[in-house]
Parts: sequence; structure tokens; C-alpha cells
Amino acid sequence: MSGYEVRIGGEVVEVPSDWRLEWIERESGRARLVGPDRSVLVVVEGHGSEWIVTLAGRRIPATVRSWRERQLADSEGAAAADSGPVLVKATLPGLVVAVRVAPGEEVAAGDSLVTVEAMKMQNEVRAPRAGRILEVAVKAGQTVTTGATLLRLE
Amino acid sequence: MRACRELGISPIAVYSDADAAALHLRYADSAERIGPAPAAESYLSIDAILDAARRSGAEAIHPGYGFLSENHEFARAVERAGMTFVGPPAASLEMLGNKLAARRSAQAAGVPIVPGTTVPVGDDAAGLATLGFPIMLKAAAGGGGRGMRRVESEAGLVDALASARREALSAFGDATVYAERVVAPARHVEVQLLGDRHGGLAVLGERECSVQRRHQKLVEESPSPAIGDTVRGALFESARRVAGTVEFHNAATVEFLLDASGSHYFLEMNTRLQVEHGVTELVTGLDMVAWQIRVAAGEHLPPELLEAPRTGHAIEVRLYAEDPYDGFRPSTGRVTAWQMPQGPGVRVDAGVEAQTDLPVEYDPLLAKILVHAVDRPAALARLRRALDETLIGGVQTDAGFLRWLVDQPSFIDGRYDTSLIDTEWGSGPDLTDDEAGLAAVAASGARASQQGRSKPSGTPEQSAWSRLARTEGLRP
Repeated sequence: MSGYEVRIGGEVVEVPSDWRLEWIERESGRARLVGPDRSVLVVVEGHGSEWIVTLAGRRIPATVRSWRERQLADSEGAAAADSGPVLVKATLPGLVVAVRVAPGEEVAAGDSLVTVEAMKMQNEVRAPRAGRILEVAVKAGQTVTTGATLLRLE
Repeated sequence: MRACRELGISPIAVYSDADAAALHLRYADSAERIGPAPAAESYLSIDAILDAARRSGAEAIHPGYGFLSENHEFARAVERAGMTFVGPPAASLEMLGNKLAARRSAQAAGVPIVPGTTVPVGDDAAGLATLGFPIMLKAAAGGGGRGMRRVESEAGLVDALASARREALSAFGDATVYAERVVAPARHVEVQLLGDRHGGLAVLGERECSVQRRHQKLVEESPSPAIGDTVRGALFESARRVAGTVEFHNAATVEFLLDASGSHYFLEMNTRLQVEHGVTELVTGLDMVAWQIRVAAGEHLPPELLEAPRTGHAIEVRLYAEDPYDGFRPSTGRVTAWQMPQGPGVRVDAGVEAQTDLPVEYDPLLAKILVHAVDRPAALARLRRALDETLIGGVQTDAGFLRWLVDQPSFIDGRYDTSLIDTEWGSGPDLTDDEAGLAAVAASGARASQQGRSKPSGTPEQSAWSRLARTEGLRP
């Protein structure tokens, strides 16, 4: 549709030309996709280039970019392929019940770093990659919100 | 609260600050605030709830099926305050609340129990290796899958024990743990009972609850597709015997594990309403909550209820705010779109509606979708149809998993056990090209309409109005 590129899970997806979107209720994102021989209910949320489509119960993140945005991103991408420190963040709000590492410690990818209890369940926060712990930002007993920085990994 | 209304009783709800706008309050005649969002200061606070009951002049308290529903101290406090607790006597709750004591008394009543310990496990986990691995560690005060750890070998035993104790202590305030040998493959089947204050006991059929993740049920159906009349009869007999070990009047569920040979083992007895009670309501035509209230008030169960006939097949699926594509992790946020199925044979018990924030503090159960039909194939077809009508936006739910499940040969044939999610679902199938294409249509279409790039093809209203404007303009 008018030169947009759609990526799902990092891959470019071809947009079938014989389907279209019709809003049922714009505010809540309810819509129907109308195709040649059937229609499908979806919820579409988002704005700009970032969208989430709920299809058959599954939330599918999709990036929609215009030709201009693609040009811009490509030139920036070439410059930004470094690997600086990463922030390990909470993906759920909850209570920190255990901090398993200390600054200076070397960890391997997948090592358990912090345990966060949410909805009566204990969730292990694991190292996204190997590295040295630069800083631990939380203590056991502390409540964290989604997106809160738990620690910094070199 | 619907049951109260139908019985001519005026219902009063309680709420915490997190629930001040919640759906349940609108069904009540009045509502009492019991404290801030954390459950420990509101829904788990006996004093706060009793204060609310006194303020409002309540005569009886129905404890629901979470929080304090099986808390004997609460039951005793309610009785002491001169009100009726809609549930069993406090002493029975105390006895059954300890799963270890319940194991011992079931065994004494001649009911088979899962092989394991009947005394608490010590810190050194001594003697557990002789049970044979894998084993399951369970909280004596437990329920709902919390404080449970599966242990594959002796190496992981000490760590698992410490972790089970920690979770048990935080969830129940009691770190006592016992051990059972893992029965695998296993099915989880439970028997629904209803007792009155005069020794009357109705056996209201069984429910198959083998679709589970983290030992919590996602799907329940009745009758079980996997058992015949012989096994069913044996289960009912064991359930009656377990019920005979305590004095109880209320709805109760006796849970069993069934192994591949059809032998059954007692797991636990819950003397409260279960989340899945609706399945039994559909096949028996009874209102379980109404009967809980009636037996609490001292009514006799009528003779025809004791042999309650059951008709058709009922299935319940639970909609959870959980991500089945990521290990069923809880998801949070705001429910934006909320469209539930309707039509013949479909019942929806929902705790939320569109534009509801999900409180982080409580269980992520959003709704239960139940279907009832003449037999299992018809119920499956109805469930498939109902799930196709279900649409939820804003948070990831398990709806996609449930829709997948209804098409699985093992589920259709009723040949599934508690390992189904691990062995057949994993983290879900990959997105198909067809699905990715449709998602791309939706996302690019939404962006285009946001930027006004593609001319809106016109909702019917707009076209009609513009047509009207044109014709009006043409009038002389």
C-alpha cells in the first residue's frame, strides 16, 4: 500500500494487495480485514511506524516505514553498529526477591541475575549476553515497575 | 451476586483501591472499601472485611474462590462475629487446609494417595531419594501451583527445596513442604460435591482438568472424555470417602490424578467454589452459588439433587492475561478492545470490560468462556466458533493458544494429559506466511489511514451522507 515496507520479526513481509482494513471502532482499535472471500477480526494498536496487530489471539508487532524513513534508517544503521553497555530492565512490574550478582562479576549469557516476583510467580531475569556487571540498581525487597533498570552490563 | 438477587438477598461487595471501578461492584446493592491495593491490606485482611461487614449490616459472607475462601481463621472470625460463613466449619477448613493432614486422613479412609511422604520434609531432604525421581515438592498449606517444584534428580533437590519453601512462606506464611512421586503421564480429574448441614451429600459429576500450565488449569470439561463408568464409579466412591473424613457442608471438590492405567490417586480436597464450577452448573442445570447459600442457611438438599442427572457436555476455557508464546508469562496493561462471544450455548463469566486497567496485584484471570452442547463434538464446534468471535486488544492473552488447542487431534480425541502444553505447544507455532500477510495488511492499513494517505474508502454513513448532500444540492 503506497510504498510502505512492513517488517514482522525483522523480516520484510509482502502485503497482499487484495486485502484491506476497515475500522469497526477506531478508538479501541477494533477492525476487520476484508479479503477476496472472507473477513477477519483484528485489533490494531500503535502509531507512527510501530504497530501491534492482534490476530487470532496473538499480538504481532509490526514496523511500518515509508520509503523516506527507510533511507534515513539505513544511513543511521551503518554508523550505529557498536556494542556499548546494555541496561537490563524489568519486563514486568513486581517485587525484587533476590539479586544474584554483584558489580564486577562476570556473567554468561542466560545466567540468572535477578528474581522478580509478579502475580505470585517468580520470574528469573537472565543476562541477554555475556559480560561484566557494571552496576546493580536494585535491592531485594524493592518494588520495580516495567522498564525500570535493574542493572548495567558491560 | 447474581445468585443473591435471584434468591431475594441483597448483595454487598467489597473492593480495594485497585478495584474501585471494577465490574463486580455494579452487580451489588452497595459496596464497602476495605483498603489499599495490596491484597494483604485488603482482600486478605480479616479485620478489614469484618469491619466492612459490620458497617453494612451483613448477615452472611461468601468468600468467593480465592483469597480467604479456605482460611479457617477467617471462617472462625466470621462465626464469632455472629455472621454465617458460606462454607464449611472452620475446623474442617483447618484440617483440609493442611494438605499433609488431608493426605493422611484420605489414606486412613482407604483412598489411594500419590506415593510420597505423609510427614513434612526436613531441610536435609533425607530419605526422598528412595521415592524415585522425578518427585514433586508441594507446600502443605498450598494450592494453585504455588510452592510447588518438580525435581528431576538428587542433584537439584536441596536448591528446589529451598525455593519451594521460600515461595510457600511468601504465599501462605508456612514453609512446610511434603513430597510426592511424579505420576506421568497423568490426567487431572476432580469430583464436584455438595453437602448440606444434615449429612446430605450430592455427587455432581466429574471435571477433566488436564490442560494445565504451571500446575494451573486452563481448560475444564465435564464429563471427562477419558474415563468410562467403572473409573467414574471408583472416583465417586473415593470422593465420598474423602468427604466422610471431615464434617462439611458446602460445595467441595475432591481432586485426583489418574495414571495411564486408569488408577486414581487422591490429591486434595477443596471446600470452596472452584473457578471451574460453571462447567458443573451447565451439565447439571444447578446454580452452585445459590446452593452454597441455601445449605449455609440450613436447607436440606432435596432427594432428586443427590442423584443429579447430567446432560450434554460442557467445556470451559480460561482467558488469562498471559503470553502463551513466552512461557505463559503474565502480561499487564490496559484492555482496550473487549469483544466476547455470544449465541446459543455460550456463557461468559468476565471480570473485566473494555478500557480496564489490569491491576498488577491480583490473578491475571480475565474471563471464562463456557460452552454447553448435546455431546463433546458439538461442544468442541461451539467452542471453536466462540473463540473465533473473541477479540481482546491491549494485552496479550492465551486466546491464541486456546484456539490452537481446539484444533489439536489429541484434544479432539480426548487423548491428552497434563503434559500437553509442554510436549505439543512449547511456545506456540511460528507465524504462518498467511498470518504475517494479514498482520501486514492491518499495520500498513492503519498507518495509511492515520496519515490520511489512502483516501478512506468511506464508512457507509459517510457515503450515505455525501450522497444525500449531493441529491439535496440538486433540488431546485
